[in-house]
Amino acid sequence: MKMTNSGFLKCLIGYCFILLHFEVEAQNQGFEQLNSRRSGVSFKNQLSENANNNILRYEYFYNGAGVAVGDLDNDGLDDIFFTGNMVSNKVYKNLGEFKFEDKTKSAGVAGKESWTTGVSMADVNGDGWLDIYVSYSGKGNTESRRNELWINQKNFIFTDQAREFRLDDASNSTQGLFFDFDRDGDLDLFLLNHHIQVISEIEFAKARQVRHPEAGDKLYRNDGGKFTDISDQAGIKGYSLGFGLGVVASDINQDGWVDLLVSNDYIEPDYLYINNGDGTFTDRLSSKFQHISHFSMGADIADINNDGLPDIYTLDMLPEDNQRQKLLYGPENYEQYALMIQRGFYHQQMRNMLQLNQGDELFSEIGQLAGISNTDWSWSALFFDATNDGFKDLLVTNGYYRDYTNRDFLKYKGDYYFKQAVAGEKADTLQLVTTMTSTPVHNYLFENKGDLTFQDRSMDWGFGEKNFSSGAAYADLDNDGDLDLVINHLNEIAGIYRNNSSKKNFLKISLAGSQANTKGIGSKVMLTSDGKTQTLEQQPVRGFQSSVSPILHFGLGESSQIDSIQIVWPNGQSELLTNIAANQTLEINQLSAAKSSPESKSAASPLLSKSSNPTPFTSKAAGFNDFKRQPLMLTMPSYVSPILAQGDLNNDGNSEVFFGGTKGQAAEIWTWQSGLWSPYSGFRSSPEFTDAVAIFEDFNGDGAVDLFVGSGGFQDYIGSDESLEDRIYLNDGNGKLIKSLTFPSYKFSTGTAVALDANGDGFLDLFVGAKLIPGKYPIIPQSKLLINDGKGNFSDQTAAFLPKEGKLGMVTASVGMDLNSDGVQDLVLAGEFMNLTFLVNSGKSHFEDQSSTYLQESLSGWWGSLSKADMDGDGDFDLIAGNFGTNSQLEASDEKLIRLYAADFDENGSIDPILECFIGDKAYPYPSRDELLDQMVSMRSRFTDYASYSKATVNELFSDKELESAQVLEINTMESFYLENQGGKFIPKMLPKLAQSFPIRAILPTDLNGDGSLDLILGGNENFTRIRIGMIDAGLGLVLLGDGKGNFKPLSPSESGLAIKGDIKAILELNTEGVKQILFGIHQQAIETYQLK
Amino acid sequence: MKKQYSISFLILAFFLATGSAFKAKKPVNWPKTYAEQLFHITEVMVTDVASPPVAARIYAYATLASYLTMREQGAEFKHQPLLDASYLTDLKLELPSDQLQSPEFAGILAMLKVGEAIMPSGYLLREKQEKWINESLKAKTISKKELGNHVAFANDLTKQVMAIAKKDGYLQLSTFTRYTPKQDPGFWYPTPPAYMAAVEPEWKTIRPFFIQNLSEFEPKPMATFDLEKGSSFEKQLMEVYEVTNKLSAEEKLIANFWDCNPFKVEFSGHMAMGVKKISPGGHWMGIAGIAAVKEALSFAETAYVHALVGLTLHDAFTSCWKAKYETDRIRPETVINQTFDPTWKPLLQTPPFPEYTSGHSVISRASAVVLTGYFGDNFEFIDTSELFFGLPARPFNSFLSASEEAAVSRLYGGIHFRDSIENGLSQGEKIGEMIWRKVRK
Repeated sequence: MKMTNSGFLKCLIGYCFILLHFEVEAQNQGFEQLNSRRSGVSFKNQLSENANNNILRYEYFYNGAGVAVGDLDNDGLDDIFFTGNMVSNKVYKNLGEFKFEDKTKSAGVAGKESWTTGVSMADVNGDGWLDIYVSYSGKGNTESRRNELWINQKNFIFTDQAREFRLDDASNSTQGLFFDFDRDGDLDLFLLNHHIQVISEIEFAKARQVRHPEAGDKLYRNDGGKFTDISDQAGIKGYSLGFGLGVVASDINQDGWVDLLVSNDYIEPDYLYINNGDGTFTDRLSSKFQHISHFSMGADIADINNDGLPDIYTLDMLPEDNQRQKLLYGPENYEQYALMIQRGFYHQQMRNMLQLNQGDELFSEIGQLAGISNTDWSWSALFFDATNDGFKDLLVTNGYYRDYTNRDFLKYKGDYYFKQAVAGEKADTLQLVTTMTSTPVHNYLFENKGDLTFQDRSMDWGFGEKNFSSGAAYADLDNDGDLDLVINHLNEIAGIYRNNSSKKNFLKISLAGSQANTKGIGSKVMLTSDGKTQTLEQQPVRGFQSSVSPILHFGLGESSQIDSIQIVWPNGQSELLTNIAANQTLEINQLSAAKSSPESKSAASPLLSKSSNPTPFTSKAAGFNDFKRQPLMLTMPSYVSPILAQGDLNNDGNSEVFFGGTKGQAAEIWTWQSGLWSPYSGFRSSPEFTDAVAIFEDFNGDGAVDLFVGSGGFQDYIGSDESLEDRIYLNDGNGKLIKSLTFPSYKFSTGTAVALDANGDGFLDLFVGAKLIPGKYPIIPQSKLLINDGKGNFSDQTAAFLPKEGKLGMVTASVGMDLNSDGVQDLVLAGEFMNLTFLVNSGKSHFEDQSSTYLQESLSGWWGSLSKADMDGDGDFDLIAGNFGTNSQLEASDEKLIRLYAADFDENGSIDPILECFIGDKAYPYPSRDELLDQMVSMRSRFTDYASYSKATVNELFSDKELESAQVLEINTMESFYLENQGGKFIPKMLPKLAQSFPIRAILPTDLNGDGSLDLILGGNENFTRIRIGMIDAGLGLVLLGDGKGNFKPLSPSESGLAIKGDIKAILELNTEGVKQILFGIHQQAIETYQLK
Repeated sequence: MKKQYSISFLILAFFLATGSAFKAKKPVNWPKTYAEQLFHITEVMVTDVASPPVAARIYAYATLASYLTMREQGAEFKHQPLLDASYLTDLKLELPSDQLQSPEFAGILAMLKVGEAIMPSGYLLREKQEKWINESLKAKTISKKELGNHVAFANDLTKQVMAIAKKDGYLQLSTFTRYTPKQDPGFWYPTPPAYMAAVEPEWKTIRPFFIQNLSEFEPKPMATFDLEKGSSFEKQLMEVYEVTNKLSAEEKLIANFWDCNPFKVEFSGHMAMGVKKISPGGHWMGIAGIAAVKEALSFAETAYVHALVGLTLHDAFTSCWKAKYETDRIRPETVINQTFDPTWKPLLQTPPFPEYTSGHSVISRASAVVLTGYFGDNFEFIDTSELFFGLPARPFNSFLSASEEAAVSRLYGGIHFRDSIENGLSQGEKIGEMIWRKVRK
């Protein structure tokens, strides 16, 4: 085809247009690192490693430096200040359009030659011009460590007036946080410090009695421009144990007084200083957080789910990928962990922690559910709305210059000294250091999905590059309505990242405080748009050694209408603004605020209230560490008590409640009558048993209720232990329960049981679900079908009735229901590493596995509970299945199966259970090298170092033949489900995200709000796990309100009235005298009773 | 006439020369060579951080291999066949009966091969085996032609020795419930700085060679835990505290000389480093080697005496470890820190296992007794085992006095009570005597 010139040109233009469009499209997401020559920012935090300056001489040599952003010359553009550990600090004037000018020399702020750490910007002298506070540390002399306070002289000139202000503190400082803690209108200073020598064990006790002058954090009160150290009287701890690396201020308990989170490295727990409003603070961490990160580095506090409550996030050093994890993990030491707790160091786990604020000073840690728990050795965390959709996204910077904790290196180091000694050569420590491997890692950018989870966008949104990063800050550097990023890298030019996301609506707010606190530090701003409210707190010091822009930024998404903005100033004054246009920078002056206090939300009346009656029963701890017996399990099967069941034993109309015991504590029965508990004398059990399930039924048809108890547990029961036998207690007619001696004697750890008429003779038979054999986890034992002769004598007819010879799985939960509406009870079963199994009673002679008929796609999980209820009021039973949840390191899907292989692989007489799970895109053995080698001698010569094991898959551990002859169990989902019965087919629907935050072990369907639709009360948690898994304790007793259409709404603790910490094992409803009582059986705690109002 | 004689002489000289060229090997200092090669096994043990009882077991099987080589090759020994008094008295090995050109060569090779098979990082010895083969070829200890059957012999023997090792209970150790320290007063608890888990709590289930009934070699009862002033325990506790608070330079040297801690841990921030040393058993294997060199023993006797000490060490450790975990006694450091001085630290790092009886006391005495039996009492020697670690060579007048110093060194080191070392010495004495009585000529 011949083309004319103009035709060709049009094509060309069209082609370019298309190209340009695609280019723009491709760049419509994420961040782009700017070329330093074009931006003018050439600052590089370069370290010089030599004999005097290295990681062995100075602990914190690789920690990196900081960055502060703020408008230093009041020209409407945020400028940048970088600290350099060993190089000069630099300040850059923002010229607009991402061009910056190095003004360090004329500003005079290059700083000292000594080790520089953090920086923050604040208007310290209240003259409307931002000042700069620079922190120093290191091993030099006192003078070298004095912090600098650069007072803004305008025109980019600064003078160090730290001495005049009495802020030339010579502590080993990490960061200075300016805030108004006493609400007197001026900025005070919290100085975060760290020790430069690791404290040895022996000195711990002494260390906690004495303030260390250079290591302890300090609080300075601003007294008219002169700062006074009031640390001791304010209750600020100053131990030498403090290795403060992160500090964030926030009004955590929302009482109008700003509080502080201090994150501490090493063994010292983090501090949660609650402001008492009287000039003092009290550390209340242990009453709010149930576990915390171990080596806490940076931190941030923000409302991540827009419920108005600030959530808290601290960083640690757990890698995302298998290889780095396996190079890092050493042996788990339970005694050392217990010692740590005993000495008051609290529960600490090595991973990032997201403490979701549930109100009423209750927090649930959901970092793993959120997907932000593993980001390698992390420094700065910043929640900020990167996409302008109204939800705060997350930046995490990370990287540690040398693989200091690489276990092979540690081992090699010891060898090195020995070999040098043998060779008669001196050991060269510096040489050793430089032989350590160096592994750069990419920073993380997570997108907040608005449902408590974050999606990793690092690769797609411009953070795929591998480097070492530390301090970071966000600001709208080019004033185009979205937040850009500045990141200080180690040994590399600092990065300026332009936000390229597609334009959405926004609002920026510049606060003008009325007194010396000119930027309104401590103010809270609530913006409502499209009926949804976002909250921001004006606290620029966040992340690590850095401070962010003092301009507040709200993303509005598609909505260009702002309903209202409420601002609460630090002194409590509030103002409500309406008719605000989007897409501008709004300046709000405190002077215009009314003297009123903000309207307090009316406290909702909770549905349930806790009974003050004395508890009838306190569960005793199982008291065993099951990992000593079978070291490769993940959770402890001994911990099943206390179970609950109810029946009327003496036909007097009052409920008798069975409280299950554990080995060392006998079960008890109590009567509930007229609001009081009294012990029931007609029952005696023995402390040899661990009660796993109890069923009150009239088994011998004499009109009196009998009792079946299944014996479970693990402890030190051996396979032939009589304490594993299940029991039937027959009612003598007068309410006394007598143990039947004819009950079949089978020995396994019982998981569950159901009473149902299996052979259609009108008498209740028993299905008993076997869970495991103590010492032989996870080998599947034989579950039982016991036929009742009508007189309470049971015979084992498993072979006839149950498929697979009864080896159905590690059964933990069961319900009887008529699945096919043939008038005969069928069975639905669930267990660990087991499919939801539907067994249909066929001809009253046997059960057939018809799971695929009732559930289209198999759901194999780590099930712990099962319940049936007509949730949608359509006359048939729906199911609720409680699983392990997604708040752990383990994830499962059809593409990412979790597998459990079990066999005596090394033929030494013990079962070796080997778990395999996906980490990233590949499946790996779960045990660490130390765990595997401890269990299997044969592996010791196969994996002589951590490196070789770190790449191994299960196929490198075992031959195909070995794997084929092993018992293999699989999991394809860890989620808990609601399964709606739709005409004989169960349609699974995941329960809300919050219900996935803990393993569900107890389910009670009941109508709590009186709307005619059943709601759900879910209990669980798993506090008895291996150290690496850590306590899963996010559940507080969760109420889900059902709407009768299969939708569930989670209630907060203040709405439900439930705030139960601990492992809930059972929930029982008692309806007596017209009052609904809900009993909670919690391991190692007293039974709690709640009343429906 | 003269010409004929000179030609004859030449021919004779030629024959003599070539004859001797075939027969002239370089003379080998067998005890020295043996000790050097054994040290390679020690090096791998150090890399693997083998615990003291595990190290002794390795020495036992490795040295057993070299002894069995000589036994099977018909060597004659000064004293009784080593295994006659053991549970392996009926052991029949299936090996080619041909006389090897150099049984010594094969003995060392077998020792290295057992080391390779029995240690996790044993693969590191492959290089040493190659080196040994090459050195021996060069020194004409072994000819290329004969190398093959020596290697085959060593492989065969190794397999059979490992078959014995497989049945001594070691593989079953991981099937036991792991140890949980009791929280009650007087019982052992992990010690700082690393709070390592207790090492080998079930070692008593490993089969000893000579001891038929471990309960016959239990130490005398220890002083019961009692903090009342004037009680035996309290007096001993104060003795540890007072002695360690005023150690002389010589006493400090003695403590360090006998430290022998394979796991010492030092911390540097997030980094925990293991500073490695040879084990107590390794120290006494070294002494056996020094004595063998001094007496210029033949290879057969060198192998004998090393195996004697190796097997003795194994039995002694087994007996000691049984006592440790049955008494489960607390360490001085724990009591002192808990009761009256929270900042006190012993000179040595407390090793991770219970206190009673002192390992070094038991095994040093047992080794010293059998060595005294073999070499005689008042055998002076210079102990160079710790030269590597910056400690000077130390002269001793006798094995027994060395063992006494090893025992008391634990008090100086602040890691043992007096009764533990005294009763440990008696425990070791009894074991050593029983063994020597059975093997002596």
